[in-house]
Amino acid sequence: MSPRRADTGGRIDRLKTIRFTFDGTAYTGHAGDTLASALLAKGVTLYGRSFKYHRPRGLLTAGVEEPNALVTVLKGEVREPNIPATMVEIHDGLVAISQNRFPSLAWDINAVNQLGGNILSAGFYYKTFMGPVFGPLKGTRFWMFCEHFIRRAAGLGSAGTAKDPARYERMNAFCDVLVVGSGPAGLMAARTAADQGARVMLADLEPLFGGSANWSEESIDGAPAADWARRAVAQLAGRDNVRLLPRTTVWGYYDNNTLAALERVSDHKDQPGKGEPRHRYWAIRAKSVVLATGAFERPLVFPGNDRPGVMLAHAAERYANEFGVLPGERIALFTNNDSAYRAAVALKKAGAAVVAIADVRPELSPEIRKLAAEAEAEIFAGHAVVATEGGKALSGLKLQRFDMANGALIGDARSIHADCLLMSGGWSPTIHLASQAGAKAEWNAARQAFLPPKPTQSWIGAGAFTGSFSTAEAIAEGRAAGLAAAGGPSAPSVLPVVEAVPGDPDPAPVFEIRAKGKSFVDFQHDVTAEDVRLAHREGFVSVEHLKRYTTLGMATDQGKSSNVPGLAIMAEALGKPIPEVGTTRFRPPFAPVSIGSLAAERFGDLKPERLTPMHDWHLANSATMYSAGLWYRPMIYGHAGETVEQAYVREAKATRESAGIVDVSTLGKIAVQGPDAAAFLDRVYTNMFSTLAVGKARYGLMLREDGLAFDDGTTWRLGEQDFLMTTTTANAGKVMQHLEYFLDVIWPELKVHVTSVTDEWAGAAIGGPKARQILAACVTGTSVDNATLPFMGIVRGELSGVPVMICRLSFSGEMAFEVYSGAGHGAHVWEALVEAGKPFGLVTYGLEALGTMRIEKGHVTGAEIDGRTTARDLHLDWMLSKKKPFIGSAMMDREGLIASDRLELVGLIALDNLPFNGGAHIVEEVDEANPHGSIGHITACCYSPALGRHIALALVKGGKARQGTRAHVSDPLRNRFGPVEIVSNHFFDPDGSRMHG
Amino acid sequence: MVERQSPEPLSPLEPEFHVGSHGNFEHGVEIILTETRPGSIVQLAAWPGEEKKLIAAIRTVTGLALPDGAGGGLSDGVKSVFGFAPGKFTVADEAEGLAAAFAKVVTPAIGTVTDLSHGRIAIRIAGPKAEWVLAKFFAIDFALPAFPVGAGRSTTHHDIFAQIQRTSADQFDIYVFRSFARSFWKALCHASEEVGYEVQ
Amino acid sequence: MLITCPYCGPRDVIEFTYQGDGNRERPDSASQNFEAWNAYVYDRLNPAGDHNEIWQHSGGCRAHLRVVRNTLTHEISSVAFVRGDHQGRGDHGSAARRKAEDKA
Repeated sequence: MSPRRADTGGRIDRLKTIRFTFDGTAYTGHAGDTLASALLAKGVTLYGRSFKYHRPRGLLTAGVEEPNALVTVLKGEVREPNIPATMVEIHDGLVAISQNRFPSLAWDINAVNQLGGNILSAGFYYKTFMGPVFGPLKGTRFWMFCEHFIRRAAGLGSAGTAKDPARYERMNAFCDVLVVGSGPAGLMAARTAADQGARVMLADLEPLFGGSANWSEESIDGAPAADWARRAVAQLAGRDNVRLLPRTTVWGYYDNNTLAALERVSDHKDQPGKGEPRHRYWAIRAKSVVLATGAFERPLVFPGNDRPGVMLAHAAERYANEFGVLPGERIALFTNNDSAYRAAVALKKAGAAVVAIADVRPELSPEIRKLAAEAEAEIFAGHAVVATEGGKALSGLKLQRFDMANGALIGDARSIHADCLLMSGGWSPTIHLASQAGAKAEWNAARQAFLPPKPTQSWIGAGAFTGSFSTAEAIAEGRAAGLAAAGGPSAPSVLPVVEAVPGDPDPAPVFEIRAKGKSFVDFQHDVTAEDVRLAHREGFVSVEHLKRYTTLGMATDQGKSSNVPGLAIMAEALGKPIPEVGTTRFRPPFAPVSIGSLAAERFGDLKPERLTPMHDWHLANSATMYSAGLWYRPMIYGHAGETVEQAYVREAKATRESAGIVDVSTLGKIAVQGPDAAAFLDRVYTNMFSTLAVGKARYGLMLREDGLAFDDGTTWRLGEQDFLMTTTTANAGKVMQHLEYFLDVIWPELKVHVTSVTDEWAGAAIGGPKARQILAACVTGTSVDNATLPFMGIVRGELSGVPVMICRLSFSGEMAFEVYSGAGHGAHVWEALVEAGKPFGLVTYGLEALGTMRIEKGHVTGAEIDGRTTARDLHLDWMLSKKKPFIGSAMMDREGLIASDRLELVGLIALDNLPFNGGAHIVEEVDEANPHGSIGHITACCYSPALGRHIALALVKGGKARQGTRAHVSDPLRNRFGPVEIVSNHFFDPDGSRMHG
Repeated sequence: MVERQSPEPLSPLEPEFHVGSHGNFEHGVEIILTETRPGSIVQLAAWPGEEKKLIAAIRTVTGLALPDGAGGGLSDGVKSVFGFAPGKFTVADEAEGLAAAFAKVVTPAIGTVTDLSHGRIAIRIAGPKAEWVLAKFFAIDFALPAFPVGAGRSTTHHDIFAQIQRTSADQFDIYVFRSFARSFWKALCHASEEVGYEVQ
Repeated sequence: MLITCPYCGPRDVIEFTYQGDGNRERPDSASQNFEAWNAYVYDRLNPAGDHNEIWQHSGGCRAHLRVVRNTLTHEISSVAFVRGDHQGRGDHGSAARRKAEDKA
């Protein structure tokens, strides 16, 4: 016989049929089914192959802790591996496949690994593949050879390579009380806190709120528990101060009560709604948290405990009561505690035969015996299961008398025919979030479980999470927790009355039955009890080492079912009590999290970008855009058929011959205002600004506190107390923070305000021999002649009806002007300038030509002001005022910063007339076979149309003294070697006659 | 309204500004997005101890009496003002010329006036789902008790600085840097698709 | 981690920029005391426990804050404006400041 669907019962809607496929076979299920329950109802017993040995595996659980039944869900081209079938809600069109099998689940080639089981024991990889080579089949090199085959054979599902088109979102939430878990404890807590007027969020990883109430068959206030839960949820849903989050796994508990949760918004739908995300990552800041996360049932460790058909007792109870699915017809149970008897009764009621209950305990209470009688099950007290039989499904098991005191097995084994074996090894509270939040769990000998630590953050526990396993306790604790979390006064109230089957919450301290055969501790990573003992024999005594050596508890389920049994076996091997062995601290995430939800809108089209006011004009006029930080800037305005080099050479040449215009709106601009603005700039810049006249600009250099160069730019004095500072594009933010720091922290007495006005102004730099004529042709309200607008002068005027501010300064080395207008007018002014320039042969140029002209002039940028160079290295020592201290002045003359062999800025000319590469080294003698002896490197290079040569700027040891000598470029990566001449960095028009006009 | 003397400034949102209903609007429009395009946006900053005088100056120029406290503000539908940092305020007006008006009353002894009329873009998000959509961007509490009508907040979405003023129970005006505005607008539209939105 | 800005209220740490050890003393700008400059530029305390730190609320009001943070637990015991003359959110700001002063 095999599993089947019962005629009645459960949360599923038998009237709604859903069609899906698993491993290519079409199946049907009902609304409310998980993939696991739907397949189980169809008699499927085999769900996956195990990690190392490729053993057949079935369902162990019904929830998030499932270690065996991991599947890959396919959505179009996108595959998502390693999802527990117990967490997949079926929908029409769902396509799921099994994992880690070849060629098929039923016939798997790697199942031969079972035969060589002892080879793949704990530490196999370390022993075989680490370290030096001793013989042919060992060592790191052997690993490199074997890796491909091993990675194919061992492991979980494989990730896809297709781009994931799904939408992911991040959501920020704030609440007074976050309740995690919606069982009776969580529902009570949420309801109580909401009654107090608190802002409440209730999250549960299941689609249906209610937790154990959905399957316990208990009654609360005279109604079935599931109905009570339904009513409680309906009441909560109707309140403004409550947000319900089903299908939401709270997976991280961080500092200051910040929690991370993953909501699976549309995975369960055929198609997400328009604009609806697949997953939503919730960042929740909760004033207090109620942890009502329940408990996980533990497997028992005995030979063959991983055979398909062996399942946790409560999981079977869930399948029967919540989904109306019987996991078998002839069911046996194996337990060390009372809770399994409730499952026996439930399965009997649902229509299965309960053939035997093996209990390790010799003495059983009358209540428990009564339950067994109700289930019409034969009790084998003081017995244990020592073997299971069957292939892809269970066919039977063997029982033997067991002495709990010493673990001995006595007498002959007895065979029992069963198609399903339920086991219960006690319960472990789900303390993961509390553990993440800080303190260490405490071992409770009575419960044989780690109980949550004393809260280190503002959380309160309730229900099974605290080790209180009865529903009556859960309800009482839930109410108390809700009240405390909401900060309400504790008023007496009538709690709902629970009718439940009796039972002692404390299990017998039995974790393992030692008999012949593989007994699994960690099902997902194929770690056996023998592996744990082997680790102990080989000296791994710390629990941290045990975990790493055996990989116990390391897979996607993070040992939810295996941690405690593993520890117990280790403790026994060590001869120590469990608390002395300790436990590893749980870390986020509680359950796997999609990377997409973490990235959310931070990639692709939604990544923030900065555009200048002229951006659309650039695009419409054949600009190739280039990203500079978050900015987009024209690289070239290419003509048809032009290469990048041809384009920039044409643009630079035309600028030097007639005129060129470039968008400089990205330059950092900071308004420096206030009565102490000039004094402040004197401290910030190496040169004087208090002496600058209103209506004039000056080039300035800033150092860091340690005396190294920081940033440069021009600052314009617009008024007595009003300066406009410009910075490099890249450093705008850093300079702003630098200024703010000094004003707030170091010199709070200065009356200066700084404001970012980068975006207020559009800037167009127009330069070249005809630049002034072009301006004269279009600017009104001011003259632009040499007398009105001398070098570094500023005038205000109008251009095409728009007020503009024009400063005569030059980066290109040509007679040049920067025309600033309000950013909203930027495109208008730009177009007017381009139009006015047409008769004069004005070209638009991009970053490449800009860079070319600055290299020809030997101006420095971020490539040279690289955080390691000083003003002297860059020949800017003329800017270091001796009349005043400034930031960096005290540190800039340290021995190491003035040494003669420092890297200094020079120019290079390629004597072989071949192109340079940025980053290439400079050497005195070329040694292509063994490149060495670097005396510096290239920071920027180009073909210079003005010189007709390939040139570069470089930082070279003692560079100034080497001017006029020869050296070599040595660039082994790009195979570029050749002779260069070291020259001054001022290649072109060194006396500046062109810009001074 | 002061008559504009210059050509109408261009909106950086232009190519991505599509008037009409979008996203999941068949189930009802729950978000209205628009660009308010104030004629003036000005930043005012007082020297320590001069904040009261600056607040008086704001009242003189705009007629708006700022409430006490950090982030306090108000709006009369034409003019808006709110605090966004210690001693610092953002003022917006439908009309141009606010900076010039303030320059007359905010003396150098009181503080400074910085014209940001071009440098900041004001985007308005309104509707029953405004808090929901904004929560996708900003890690601040948008609930009415935590963020009352009139109040202002400074915060960040990735690298995008934003000053946000709540101008009614379900309406927020977001001031962002002009260079980021299009990018932010696109993201805002994207995030609003789920609930259905209309661009006006 | 949340930092309670005296102006903006509690905000996520992503809105803040760490601006260094708050115990540094900058010598007078004109000072030629090289030892003092060296200590200011390079020496940092690295206590296991409460640490005086300077943070800028760079993604908010941009004020600089003096934060006492426990480097073992991340617990923040006080936050105050670095500038003594800033106004915070009514009682809240002054309470934070008072707490910082009590500690000092």
